[in-house]
Amino acid sequence: MLHPVSQHQPGVLVASVAAQVSLCAPVARLSLRAKGDVTPLTGAFGVSLPSGIGTCAETDRLSAVRLGPDEWLMKAEVDDLPAILSAGERLYDTLPHSLVDVSGREVTLELSGPKVLDLLTLGMARDPEMIPVGDARRLNFDGVTVLLWRKAEDRFEMDIWHSFAPHILSLLKTGVAELAAEV
Amino acid sequence: MSSYRVAGKGRVDTGKPVDFTFDGKTYQGGVGDTVASALLAHGEHLMGRSFKYHRPRGAVAAGSEEPNALIGTRRGPGRFEPNTRATMQEIWPGLETQSQNKFPSLKFDVGAVNDAAYMMFSAGFYYKTFMWPRSFWDKVYEPFIRQAAGLGVSPTEEDPDHYASRYLHCDVLIVGTGPAGLAAAKVAAQDGLKVVIVDEHSEAGGTLLSEPQAKIDGTPAWDWLSATLAELKATGVKVMTRTTAIGYYHQNFVGLCERVTDHLSALPDDTPRERMWRVRAKRVILAQGALEKPLVFHGNDRPGVMLAGSAQTYLNRFGVLVGKSPAVITSHDSAWFAAFDLADSGAKVQVIADTRAEVDADLIAGAKSRGIPVKLSHTVTATSGRLRVKSVRLNPVDGGSVGAGSNVTCDALLMSGGWTPSLHLFSHTKGSLTWDTDLTTFLPNETPEDCIIAGASRGLWGIEAALKDGVTAGEQTLDALDRAASGTHSYAVENDRAGTGVTHKELLTDKSPGKAKAFVDYQNDVTAKDLRLAVREGMRSIEHVKRYTTNGMATDQGKMSNINGLNIAADALGKPQPKVGLTTFRPPYTPTTFGAFAGYHRGEHFEVTRKTQIDGWARENGAVFEPVGQWSRAWYFPKPGEDMETAVRRECVTTRNSVGIFDASTLGKIEVKGPDAVEFMNRMYTNPWTKLGIGRCRYGLLLGDDGFIRDDGVIGRFGQDLFHVTTTTGGAARVLNMMEDYLQTEWPDLNVWLTSTTENWSTIALNGPNAARLLAPLVEGIDINDEDFQHMSCAEVTVAGMPARLFRLSFTGEIGFEINVPAPMGRQLWEALWAAGQAYDITAYGTETMHVLRAEKGYIIVGQDTDGTVTPQDCGMGWAIGKAKPDFVGKRGLMRPDLVAKGRKHLVGLLTEDDSKLEEGAQIVFDPNQPKPMTMVGHVTSSYQSDAVGQPIALALVAGGHDKMGETVYIPMPDRTIKAKITSTVFLDPENTRLKIAKES
Amino acid sequence: MLLIHCPYCKETLPESEFTYAGQAHIVRPEMPSEQTDAQWEEFLFLRANPKGPHYERWRHFHGCGRFFNAVRDTVSDKFLTTYPANTPKPDLESLIGDAE
Repeated sequence: MLHPVSQHQPGVLVASVAAQVSLCAPVARLSLRAKGDVTPLTGAFGVSLPSGIGTCAETDRLSAVRLGPDEWLMKAEVDDLPAILSAGERLYDTLPHSLVDVSGREVTLELSGPKVLDLLTLGMARDPEMIPVGDARRLNFDGVTVLLWRKAEDRFEMDIWHSFAPHILSLLKTGVAELAAEV
Repeated sequence: MSSYRVAGKGRVDTGKPVDFTFDGKTYQGGVGDTVASALLAHGEHLMGRSFKYHRPRGAVAAGSEEPNALIGTRRGPGRFEPNTRATMQEIWPGLETQSQNKFPSLKFDVGAVNDAAYMMFSAGFYYKTFMWPRSFWDKVYEPFIRQAAGLGVSPTEEDPDHYASRYLHCDVLIVGTGPAGLAAAKVAAQDGLKVVIVDEHSEAGGTLLSEPQAKIDGTPAWDWLSATLAELKATGVKVMTRTTAIGYYHQNFVGLCERVTDHLSALPDDTPRERMWRVRAKRVILAQGALEKPLVFHGNDRPGVMLAGSAQTYLNRFGVLVGKSPAVITSHDSAWFAAFDLADSGAKVQVIADTRAEVDADLIAGAKSRGIPVKLSHTVTATSGRLRVKSVRLNPVDGGSVGAGSNVTCDALLMSGGWTPSLHLFSHTKGSLTWDTDLTTFLPNETPEDCIIAGASRGLWGIEAALKDGVTAGEQTLDALDRAASGTHSYAVENDRAGTGVTHKELLTDKSPGKAKAFVDYQNDVTAKDLRLAVREGMRSIEHVKRYTTNGMATDQGKMSNINGLNIAADALGKPQPKVGLTTFRPPYTPTTFGAFAGYHRGEHFEVTRKTQIDGWARENGAVFEPVGQWSRAWYFPKPGEDMETAVRRECVTTRNSVGIFDASTLGKIEVKGPDAVEFMNRMYTNPWTKLGIGRCRYGLLLGDDGFIRDDGVIGRFGQDLFHVTTTTGGAARVLNMMEDYLQTEWPDLNVWLTSTTENWSTIALNGPNAARLLAPLVEGIDINDEDFQHMSCAEVTVAGMPARLFRLSFTGEIGFEINVPAPMGRQLWEALWAAGQAYDITAYGTETMHVLRAEKGYIIVGQDTDGTVTPQDCGMGWAIGKAKPDFVGKRGLMRPDLVAKGRKHLVGLLTEDDSKLEEGAQIVFDPNQPKPMTMVGHVTSSYQSDAVGQPIALALVAGGHDKMGETVYIPMPDRTIKAKITSTVFLDPENTRLKIAKES
Repeated sequence: MLLIHCPYCKETLPESEFTYAGQAHIVRPEMPSEQTDAQWEEFLFLRANPKGPHYERWRHFHGCGRFFNAVRDTVSDKFLTTYPANTPKPDLESLIGDAE
């Protein structure tokens, strides 16, 4: 069983009057790939898998986003990981799929504050305002593929593969200070 | 107050004095001044020397089209910028500026001998002069050109500023804050619409800043301007000044360069010098106005000769008289109004000369009432004055013949050759143009973009016409956005100065046209004579004329010269202008710093740099790094006093004698899972996978369908339907892309999925005779020995308390393991192994030692020993091909005629006769005595010192190499020819005895 | 930067999220080993280079990860349409009609 742990303590990494970037606590992350009718998986994971690409579904302990026609990502409580994996395992013969524990793959940064939309425009060619609250999008941020969840009007979470995190964080730090200087 | 400043005029706050220097001398201006306006306020017209002839030059314009007044600006160490337009640079206390292209001083410049040699430097001079003799090129011509080339001097220090960039999404982008742009913005500014309006100047207003006499709906222009700007801001419109729209790209993508701090005396913290805005607008309105054309006559470049509209701007916007006794030469009404404004502010206008026989009676009356002499049907044939115009020679024209000239004394000469719509951004859109015979200019026609062009930029002169056209543009834009305009917008303007005029080629003269220095392109010193010469010498297309003469090729992109140049070229060719055509405007609209384009991507943030979880340990332990793909990888770990060679030798020897630890986390990893996983693997890789047992791993070779090696790596089977694939570091993304391509588009029926797990795992390699001894006590779940965990096995176990996927494999020829733990645990595992390894004198090693150790064993590195044209057979790896499989990617490719032909280059080993180390990339020949150019038969792909082998080793691709074992080849180097013997690629332990774990007694 | 409509995400998005993947509608033969050298050469190497509408493949690399097909006019650089992989070529004439 793989326990995701991080070398870094969750907490605020950089903050200004404009925006704030924090490191989120570790969670279990699972990549789910399946074709056809995925309803049985809904029962197994206790969340109804969202149907539109970029839309999300949430329960108390788990959130899921559809990333592609046959791809979902789930974030769950660390303690729930074994149960989710074995629930998938039980369904495998009837509904072949791929459920991969990728808890070790990425970190999540929380981006918030009054200027958070402007902060995102430093690295992102998409219009962040076009991401509805509650949705998530996988996209290109300053040359890096990230998964951006819009949790509230002015609060986002960005999932970044570990090795890219220093690069992204350096841009976000610059932006947090630059935006504060404009206020 | 400086002597040319007019009390009560202009928008400069002279109550807030600003001291700056120009060529070391201190000048005082006010807040709102540009360098040009502040110098002109002191009567200084001389601001630079021209590029080719080093002729004295002054500001001819008041905006970004300025070709002459280019200066260097300095703000302390590192902050020097050449070629800044003095007409755009705002002054701030302490600004240092300097003139360019002069030696030893602006007023006395030895380079001006070029001017005396004018007849030598005509069009095509470089092409003709430097052709012959050929031997002169290196020693004479090139140094001469290099000495003479370039505008200004380059900065020599690293730029300490930082630059920024942002994306901006809006419904409407309006370029230009003149009357057309503002009127459009007022219409478009609606709730829920994001409207952005930009202007390159320090304040919004465009032509309104130069025409305070106008009244819009009864309100003085400047009051209307402030009210309108306040209203727009209140409605949420983003008004951006000091922001140049530099380029218009596909689908309404517009680049804006904002100058954030160049006007400030103190640099605020965390603030970039410039910011590039990448704007995506649903609709764009181009309202960039028009640019005034100079008249082309002998001596039209003397300091003090200036566009009339610019003189009007200097007076009305900056409160500066460009001369106290100016003369005027014009072919357009607008210069008359400029003359009137100057006269009304105390200038004694010497004469208004107009090329036209008839002008509006009101203009004549206006001149008369101000006591200004008028000369109609006149041309100008000369000016005098060395560093500043002193007089102008005016001649009457009657029926095309030029009468006797008379000199008029003046201290400035205002000229107007009419106006050209600013079509630069419109042209960037691939917009088509139509020739307007009446206006003698091109006008915008159709554009493929969602864009409207309004006001003077489509040939509508006057404030009222521009306002009304702006309204129309705003309404059409709303319509395109499915919005209705609210209310009606109509404007009535008093004291408007629409005016008309005619356009000329170079003006008629009574002098020899061949000797006239009548400048068309001031910045590149191109004269009318040069253009006519180009046509005489055979240039027919305007594109050829442009390149032969360099007309319009300077940093101002011909903003002033293109239409005049076209008129002259068309006349010389005897064709109408549209048949000659206009050269293409390209981005950027004005010169743009590299910093603005680079934005954040410089220094540490230059490019994406990926770091492993063990990066911190490597840095703390003195590693030297090398870039591998996007990764920053530890290259070697020198101890104090060690150079690279010593460190790598120690790392190699310790690993071969005891144990070494290596961060292999960058290897690509792909989880292949699903009922068709084995079928997918069989189709993708050359090797057979069906019989690979769970818990075993195998070296996999990936080809393209052309049969050439693409990637390789060890692949472990962790379940019936589950493979853990590893790829090369650099190939990870490419391999996954290739696999997804085949899976999604060729074999969508397969039930198998690919998940990138590269970053899910930290991968640590342990190699060496003590590797098993070190690892065994830390592993729970399996016994580390040749029976329970033989070479090429894999298992899910616990290592040092951490969940792990453990591989037993070797990329060194020693007993080897790769331990994968969840990525964030990587450093913890590394430190545990490091601690346990102290008993074995463990060494950390980097990529260089990894390369040496694998080469000693003859293991290839894809991309180093292969180059995209190498087959498995070429590498002696035919054994990796599953010949019984009906198909795999590359199987058919391997049967291509070229791939089965004799004489292909084979990968072999090389040992030099004199024990010298070969250079990677060195070419190989069979016969060193053949005449040059020799027949090259291959090259060295890898080369290292090797303690284990006892002499340097190399891998090389050599034609037919597999059939030439033991034969000698030659490697010619600049100083000598090296002899080498072809050997097997395996230099060490061909029987693989070192891979065996000895039974512990 | 172009805007590209991803037929899977159903959104029109900046080009920087996409990668180009060559000419579309080139199908890998069922059994390559039965191909003649000439047929295999054509499959591997021969590609169209039209001035005008071009059938090509793109991948929404930074997004949903899917390969899809597109018709792009190589003169205007405008996309006439995009559509999922493994679906037939759209009718060119009606596309050009739509664009005009």
